[in-house]
Amino acid sequence: MEKSVLCRLNSAAIKYTDKIIFKDSKTCLTFGGFNDITKSIGTYLAGVAPASSPVVVMSGRHVYTPACFLGAVRAGCFYAPMDGDMPKTRLNQILGVIKSELMLVDKAHLEIAQSLDFDGKIVVMEDILETPANEELLKSREESLTGASPLYVIFTSGSTGVPKGVITSHQSLMTYIDSVSKVLSIDDTDIFGNQSPLDYIAAIRDIYLPISFGASTYIIPKNEFAVPAQLFETLNREKITALCWSVAGVELPAKLGAFDVSKPEYLKKLCFSGSVMPCKYLKIWQENLPDVLYVNQYGPTETTASCTYYVVNEKVDDDTVLPIGKPYDNYKVFLLNEDNTPTEQGKTGEICVSGSILALGYYGNPEYTEKSFIQNPLNPNYRELIYKTGDLGSFNADGLLEFHGRKDRQIKHLGHRIELGEIEETAKKISGVLDCCSLYNKPKEHLYLFYTGDATSKDIVLYFRANMPAFMVPRKLVNLDAMPTLPNGKIDMQTLKSYFK
Amino acid sequence: MEELMEILEELRPDVDFENETALITDGVLDSFDIVALVGELNDAFDIEIKPNNLVPENFNSAKAMYALIEKLQDE
Repeated sequence: MEKSVLCRLNSAAIKYTDKIIFKDSKTCLTFGGFNDITKSIGTYLAGVAPASSPVVVMSGRHVYTPACFLGAVRAGCFYAPMDGDMPKTRLNQILGVIKSELMLVDKAHLEIAQSLDFDGKIVVMEDILETPANEELLKSREESLTGASPLYVIFTSGSTGVPKGVITSHQSLMTYIDSVSKVLSIDDTDIFGNQSPLDYIAAIRDIYLPISFGASTYIIPKNEFAVPAQLFETLNREKITALCWSVAGVELPAKLGAFDVSKPEYLKKLCFSGSVMPCKYLKIWQENLPDVLYVNQYGPTETTASCTYYVVNEKVDDDTVLPIGKPYDNYKVFLLNEDNTPTEQGKTGEICVSGSILALGYYGNPEYTEKSFIQNPLNPNYRELIYKTGDLGSFNADGLLEFHGRKDRQIKHLGHRIELGEIEETAKKISGVLDCCSLYNKPKEHLYLFYTGDATSKDIVLYFRANMPAFMVPRKLVNLDAMPTLPNGKIDMQTLKSYFK
Repeated sequence: MEELMEILEELRPDVDFENETALITDGVLDSFDIVALVGELNDAFDIEIKPNNLVPENFNSAKAMYALIEKLQDE
């Protein structure tokens, strides 16, 4: 049994030495070259960081970023990726949770790194690429890893206003990667087109499917997504065969009419996740590319990216609602009622997940971990942790899971998971905002902030732009004289929703 | 031009549209801004921006966007 993802990298580096693993608009790396770089980075990091410690990685959209991740792993550490484009406040919040001694950055992010609340050591990736590999040191660090060791910590929105760091182990990652590869029939002829930011959970497919199966990934420049004709040209030039994109990313070319100009000629598989797919856009893909395999995925970061999948065999219509399907191999997915009893067939309950793919919890937050990962209430006999997703679902007559939204106030906006409570906590910090309520107009994809006080909408947007990731900036701001309330004094959200334009 | 500036200002009050000339090339506007913007411009100016028009040259500055709008209105 493989103990860590390094076993996979070691074999791939021998089998596919001269084959390309990662490519961006400027550079490409072969498996051999990539492996050598991870060893250089790993040797350097092992000299300055103890095994099993977190390494923050802040590096751009290029081929060296995955090398930084795997370099940290070679040092027996785990990595916490951060998007340097995010506002400083957010980056400082992440640093406050992870409390790392070490930050690995590319040159382009050095200045930002130096301006953060960080008193550990900052290492510039470009400066350590030539470090001679110390095979003995690397071997001992590799041997310190087990399947249960953390591989990465990825941050997601938290309702209290502080982001949560979800910890994933080597074993969980490998289990997911093997399961998804079966469904998509991934092999060494596949070339992925990476859309997801590299620090985001969705990028693990673009990084670890190549390492596991000898495939390649082309990292698409971010601004090409604003220019759909160019995007499809790139997919064709790079002969991209497989896309694992967010629903928002799949919608974009269809919305902007990219198929009127050209289509991706080499594409064979498209899997999407992150939010509910509006089928009017999937229909456009299907009509233009009828032979492509379309796979709908569902699952939170806490269960290693995705826990269920549905292969779309039918031709969809504008109003088709896709099921989220059945569990991936090695995932147990079931439903519980509010009172922790099993949900009857056909009825709606909370989606619960168990198995070796559960996250190791939230970094540095045992309290929240205890609350979210609990003993299966249906199992009095042995220890079986489950994660209650907060999502509602039901099994249809064919045994396929259908998705029915959230129990709480978490939403999916532009492919990102957002706690509306976090938007409100942020807005309340702005002087001139007295009371507020954030709501989501799903059909129009507008994030609303209703507020009282004398702040202007410009004040609010500027504050959010300076302190929060772009996808968390409210698009519609409504200033009210008073918040509508219910008899119990709580904000009347139904009335606020009637103000949606 | 005034109407365009108002739309841009509302979309991204943090961006200096008077002076920026590489809105797309430098990634100041992201793909989600463009989707929102295309919808608003189509409605406000009664035009239809086609995928062929979605090139950086047409969206890198407010001036370029205005030129595109005028061109599409003439068609």
